[in-house]
Amino acid sequence: MNIIKTSKDQTNASKRELLFTFQTIIVTGLLAFTAIAFFFYNDLSVIKGIKVIFAPFLSVVPLLFILSVLRDLRKGFIEGNYTKQEILKFGLITLGITAAFTGITLLLSKINALEILLAGIIAILSTVFFLRSKIKDILGMSIVTGIAEGIIVYMIFLF
Amino acid sequence: MIQKRLNTAFFITVGVSLVVFIYLVFLGYDEIRTLRDVVKIVGSVLFPIPILFFTRFIVIEHFLPENSDAYKAKNQRPATLLLVISVIGVLLLMQLLEFLTNKRLEDALILAHLINSTSISSYVFNFLLYNNLKANGILSGVLMALAVHIFFLSA
Repeated sequence: MNIIKTSKDQTNASKRELLFTFQTIIVTGLLAFTAIAFFFYNDLSVIKGIKVIFAPFLSVVPLLFILSVLRDLRKGFIEGNYTKQEILKFGLITLGITAAFTGITLLLSKINALEILLAGIIAILSTVFFLRSKIKDILGMSIVTGIAEGIIVYMIFLF
Repeated sequence: MIQKRLNTAFFITVGVSLVVFIYLVFLGYDEIRTLRDVVKIVGSVLFPIPILFFTRFIVIEHFLPENSDAYKAKNQRPATLLLVISVIGVLLLMQLLEFLTNKRLEDALILAHLINSTSISSYVFNFLLYNNLKANGILSGVLMALAVHIFFLSA
């Protein structure tokens, strides 16, 4: 409800940041939902118990390292409007990422061991958090939107 | 940004959408047997939200028409006209689609959920941020057509 209550003193850049945060929260929720749905629907079994505990570390540890080492890649959100050309370009990028993630979710559904599924989903989640904290830009927003839409399109039409 | 008070039309439209949603779930209740159907419904309800956020992200600076009496008076007629046109147009389109594919909308409940959630989220979005009366007319028209189709035209 925060986007509704935006007051006058808020800048456009901070509004954009808020929207970006919302989008990442949605993606996180969707990924968790996908994991649970695949887990129950495919009756996934844990083949090697100890692997489940270590699966997340595979991508979380490099992420933390990268986040601590790297400086911000982009300048942040701009105040004004985007040009028509930019809008077109990033719209197309979003469409492409949507198609790609429909395919990636399809691949995830083919996995039949819980620990590998977990590792894959945590890897995507780490990418999202990387985008969230380092690529604060329209590029990050369009990629995150693409991921969310890709998962939803798979859910509706292919699942 | 201007704080607009939500009026009755807003609540009624959202209410219609909610009733349609509940009715759709009720209609397809027999088919909701597996987790798969639940996932599909959740997906179709969530579908418009990321797109709306993205649109808002891009067009953040667009103007916000003040909800003044002059603006209302100027847009009354075109908005009403658009409402009527979109109700009739969407109704005809759905009849035509049912006729062409030989399938009823009830057989494709996901599509109905998709239309419902997309039109209501765009409506809420437009109402809160842009308050463009013409767009309001079109979106309410789509929603009304869906409601009429589901409640009256499909027995």
